[in-house]
Amino acid sequence: MLSAFISAFKTPDLRKKIFFTLFIIAIYRLGASLPSPGVAYGNVQECMKLLEAGTQNGVFTLLNLFSGGALMSLSVFALGIMPYITASIILQLLTVVIPRLEQLRKEGQSGQAKITQYTRYLTLGLAVLQSSAFVALARSGQLFQNQCDQFPIVPPTSLPNWLTLTMLVLTMTAGTGVVMWLGELITDRGVGNGMSVLIFTSIAARLPAEGWQILETQQFWGFVGVIALVLIIITAVVYIEQAQRRIPVQYAKRMIGRRMYGGTSTYIPMKVNQAGVIPVIFASSLMYLPRLGLDFARSDNPGEVYLFIERYLAQPSSWSYIALYGVLIIFFTYFYVSITFNPVEIGENMRKYGGFVPGIRPGKPTSDYLSFIQNRITLPGSLYLAIIAVLPNLFFIALDSEAYQNFPFGGTAVLIMVGVGLETVKQIESQLMQRSYEGFLR
Amino acid sequence: MSVSQRLKNRFRRFLERPGTTVDLEPFSKLLPEIEARGEELSTLDDAELTAAASEASELVEICAVGREAAWRALGERPYDVQLLGILALLHNTVAEMATGEGKTLAACIAAFGHVRRGNGPVHVLTVNDYLAKRDAEWMEPVYTMLGLSVGYVTGASTPDERRAAYSKDITYASVSEAGFDFLRDQLITDVAQRIQPELRTAIVDEVDSILIDEATVPMVLAGMIPNEQDPVHLAAGLVKNLRPRVHYEVAEDGRSVALTDRGVKSLEAKLGVDLYDAEQVGQLSTLHVALHAHALLDRDVDYIVRNGKVELVDEMRGRVAQRRRWPDGLHAAVEAKEGLDASAEGEVLGTITVQGFIALYNAIAGMTATAVHVGDELREYFKLEVAVIPPNTPCVRVDEPDRIYATRAERDEALIEEIKKFHETGRPILIGTLDISESQNLAEGLRAAGVECAVLNAKNDAEEAAIIAEAGKFGAVTVSTQMAGRGVDIRLGGSDQSDRERVAELGGLYVIGSGRHNSRRVDDQLRGRAGRQGDPGGSIFYVSIEDELIKHHAADSIPPWPRMKFGGLVDDERVTAAVEHAQKVAEGVHYELHRNTWRYSVVIEQQRQALAERRERLLTTDVAAKMLLARVPDKAKAFVEGRLDEWAEAKRAAELDALEGKAELEDSAELDESAEPGEKAELDGQESPAEIEQSEIDEAEIEEAELDESAEVSEVDEQAAREKREARLVEIGRSIALWHLDRLWAEHLAELSEVREGIHLRALGRVDPLDEFHRAAVPAFNKLIPEIEERTVATFEELDLEEEFTPERAELVRPSATWTYLVTDNPFGSELDRLVSVFKRTKR
Repeated sequence: MLSAFISAFKTPDLRKKIFFTLFIIAIYRLGASLPSPGVAYGNVQECMKLLEAGTQNGVFTLLNLFSGGALMSLSVFALGIMPYITASIILQLLTVVIPRLEQLRKEGQSGQAKITQYTRYLTLGLAVLQSSAFVALARSGQLFQNQCDQFPIVPPTSLPNWLTLTMLVLTMTAGTGVVMWLGELITDRGVGNGMSVLIFTSIAARLPAEGWQILETQQFWGFVGVIALVLIIITAVVYIEQAQRRIPVQYAKRMIGRRMYGGTSTYIPMKVNQAGVIPVIFASSLMYLPRLGLDFARSDNPGEVYLFIERYLAQPSSWSYIALYGVLIIFFTYFYVSITFNPVEIGENMRKYGGFVPGIRPGKPTSDYLSFIQNRITLPGSLYLAIIAVLPNLFFIALDSEAYQNFPFGGTAVLIMVGVGLETVKQIESQLMQRSYEGFLR
Repeated sequence: MSVSQRLKNRFRRFLERPGTTVDLEPFSKLLPEIEARGEELSTLDDAELTAAASEASELVEICAVGREAAWRALGERPYDVQLLGILALLHNTVAEMATGEGKTLAACIAAFGHVRRGNGPVHVLTVNDYLAKRDAEWMEPVYTMLGLSVGYVTGASTPDERRAAYSKDITYASVSEAGFDFLRDQLITDVAQRIQPELRTAIVDEVDSILIDEATVPMVLAGMIPNEQDPVHLAAGLVKNLRPRVHYEVAEDGRSVALTDRGVKSLEAKLGVDLYDAEQVGQLSTLHVALHAHALLDRDVDYIVRNGKVELVDEMRGRVAQRRRWPDGLHAAVEAKEGLDASAEGEVLGTITVQGFIALYNAIAGMTATAVHVGDELREYFKLEVAVIPPNTPCVRVDEPDRIYATRAERDEALIEEIKKFHETGRPILIGTLDISESQNLAEGLRAAGVECAVLNAKNDAEEAAIIAEAGKFGAVTVSTQMAGRGVDIRLGGSDQSDRERVAELGGLYVIGSGRHNSRRVDDQLRGRAGRQGDPGGSIFYVSIEDELIKHHAADSIPPWPRMKFGGLVDDERVTAAVEHAQKVAEGVHYELHRNTWRYSVVIEQQRQALAERRERLLTTDVAAKMLLARVPDKAKAFVEGRLDEWAEAKRAAELDALEGKAELEDSAELDESAEPGEKAELDGQESPAEIEQSEIDEAEIEEAELDESAEVSEVDEQAAREKREARLVEIGRSIALWHLDRLWAEHLAELSEVREGIHLRALGRVDPLDEFHRAAVPAFNKLIPEIEERTVATFEELDLEEEFTPERAELVRPSATWTYLVTDNPFGSELDRLVSVFKRTKR
């Protein structure tokens, strides 16, 4: 992989693309750490410190993770790429309800261009909504669970209040538009998928700070131990992410005089982790619900239910929480794989184009065979996801420190980072291969 | 032009995306200068004009000289708008010029300009041989006046004629002839056989047709491979008895067909085998191909049968596609279906897409009447911008809105009624039908209704010129396929334009389309037959909901109970929208096809170029011989020094020794005599060829030295003989290496098409199929070069050098173009798509 990078830098064309991507990332990080006008940055810092010291587990931490910490500090790019992702998902789902969208989708390139345009408009709409919501939350102090009301994030100034707030919303909305554009620029002219690269950047941006925190709390040897462990985890994740079972497929659609190349290159790759990171995100979102409920209830005189939930379901360090989290992930993995890997549809597609698994008849036998293998391979896959996801909670117990709640090397973060990393490296490698002819003939 | 007007134009150009066009203003500014220079030129005599032409290099001078030459040679003086077209062509853009605006003449002067500006030779690429010949002969006087030579290539040209034509300043050729000449040049074994010089500048006629519509059609040079058995006829017989929807199912989009379980069972019962056993792939492929031919390809729609041959009909142009064949056995299956002898399947020796071929030119320019719709594609794939040239006289054609009918029968009835009505007034009518069988049916219907009509389709393409010449005559009714849709010039009042006034008074030519085509451009081209150069004219399309286009692409957008008028005429904006939608989907499908063909051919084209470079070196230098001298020094040197006999003897002796040694070794081993083996083993390890060589070279040197001393005359002889042998070694090395290179490339191409067939399955593992394709294609190619060397060495070692080396080259049976299957490389969609489709299913 390292050699791939070195030769990538030796290829002028590719080097330009990589530098371009890095340049965009730099702009993105700049905007993510630039406070919006009207925000008291000093107060934000103080609140962060308070929050880290506290015991509460914020509802917005996952969102904050995706925005690389920009959300909590209400920076220019506070909303990050999320509104764009949400908008594309909404539009995809809308195709089910709105026939006009479905028509556009079928019209290929030109229709797709229109849908992209709609996605952009919707992104801006969502950005207005979300930024207003976050500004309101920040002003009322709820963004930090009312724990730092002594440090107002949007302190009153000589300007009328509505002007400051409007300015904030406008800035963050415009910021979202710029982030969207940056993402598209990376996709078009850089390396990798723009949205993924930006999410990767956000998550990776927190690594140094988190590392520093570990160093502070655990002294040197503890730090070395954690780093070693992290490397082991990452290696394991890379290894398992690449693991796949190849089901050979034979196409009988063409008559060729002499058949000499059989089957080795044509196969269905079934990944051990066929579901990717989605089940973890589903499960962790669901695990926030009890916490959210408690926040709303906010009872001074807690009843039995409140105490039960607080004790067993809302404490990330409790064994019941960890067990439930794990089970949910396993469930969502099976659920998601069954949706995205549809053996019947794949069997039909193969039949349509004259393909079959050697020795197995098309139709029901083929789809049965595929789902048999799928079920077998999803079990280790789901266990793997569950283990990686609960690792931070285990750290939490083992080291007895709150600091690892958002441990960036575990769970969602490491899965996303490795996933995006692998994808981008593969793309670079493929482009590199294409361009390497010039050298090798001389 | 006033400032506000100019601003308005700017703003319009800004809004015109997609299809942003080239700004014509800088060109218009040159027009007065050209006019002024033209007046000066008119005083020169012909010889002086030719002399002036030979020195022209400025844009103004080129246009002025060209205009004057056209006037003197043809009696046609290019209009100002034609000059704009010429300038656009000189700037390597696509000029969109309406029908009848004189594209041919503009191309001629632009070609002259390109040559004078040092970009020659220029190839003018046309859509077919007929146009290449016609245009070249038509424009020859202009070129002569301009002091340039012109030639043309058609399918019937001999290699010598081709070479002569390509050596001219300007060469007219159909794009497929030029492409195949290029491919053939990639397989020559002697520099003297080369036909095509370096490719410099191309002016492409009907550029949207050639660069966009044909872009999915790779040109293929095939070699004959022996056909072992003839299973296609058997398969065709079996498939004939299958019934649709019971034994097989045709996909909604009409592009694929698959056997159902019942179909498989019935075939297996007849054949008595398990078709899905890995051993039976051949049998199953044959059946699949036969089924494809049976269920998806229709006679007189997709192909015609003429003179005992199956000839493909080009979907976009309605003409017989010269030399095109379906790939991978499908052609033979169609021949079997029609009960003809199946022609042998070729092995692909070389291939290039039209796009890849065009990209070999340093500069390209183009012209057509419909470019703006494909402006984005032209820009994306060819970096071509579109310049919209205004017509000389504004178009006054009346384009009426579509008439949509519920059923085909009602549509046909209304169509015939309408034709009858207009025919009675004597107004000439051109009816554009979608395919050959429809044109025949309509003609029958018209005759039954008492309307006499001429029919033009791929079957009688020989009469094309005659039919078109009279299509604008008073009272003419012409039923045609898309053949009349592009490139033909219908003059009002017939060939002599005698009735022009009378016909113009009736409203000019009336164009009726019996159904929308797969692309707006084809519709527009058909409409464009009327209203030429400001003539009056009209156009209308008669569509039915049962048309293939709508059934395939918009079946679910048609409301169940559309609002209707009398006679099945539909009056419902939802249906109108659905028709538009269907056409857009068809265009989208084609776009996707183009994109995928291109994306997957990029890597092959790069590899082809890399290999072509190597081949060129093998062809023109002695690298192969050098390589042999380095890799097989003893034999190669022995040959050069004329000591082949000695070498062979020494080798034989060594082999004999080795053999004896081995035999003795075996004997001794059998006899369990372990005393001698050590010694023998040394012998077995050959008497070290290096030593032999060494001693021989020493001898040779001594001999040479002796000769040197004794006789100078014989030394000269010796030297000459040696040079001759060296040359011979170069020749032998070259032909062995080239032979292996070509073989391995053909094998590589076959392997890649195998890989590509199933690459879309990789998307299921969440990887990009294209990346995976590269991952397979590049290492395979990297192995190619060492493999060529290995095989060359092996062949050389075995070869008896006394004999002539004539490798068995696959006979180049025919150039052909094929047609591609790959529509999408990810039929399953993204994960989000799959998620959504689950919702959709539950919704239903």
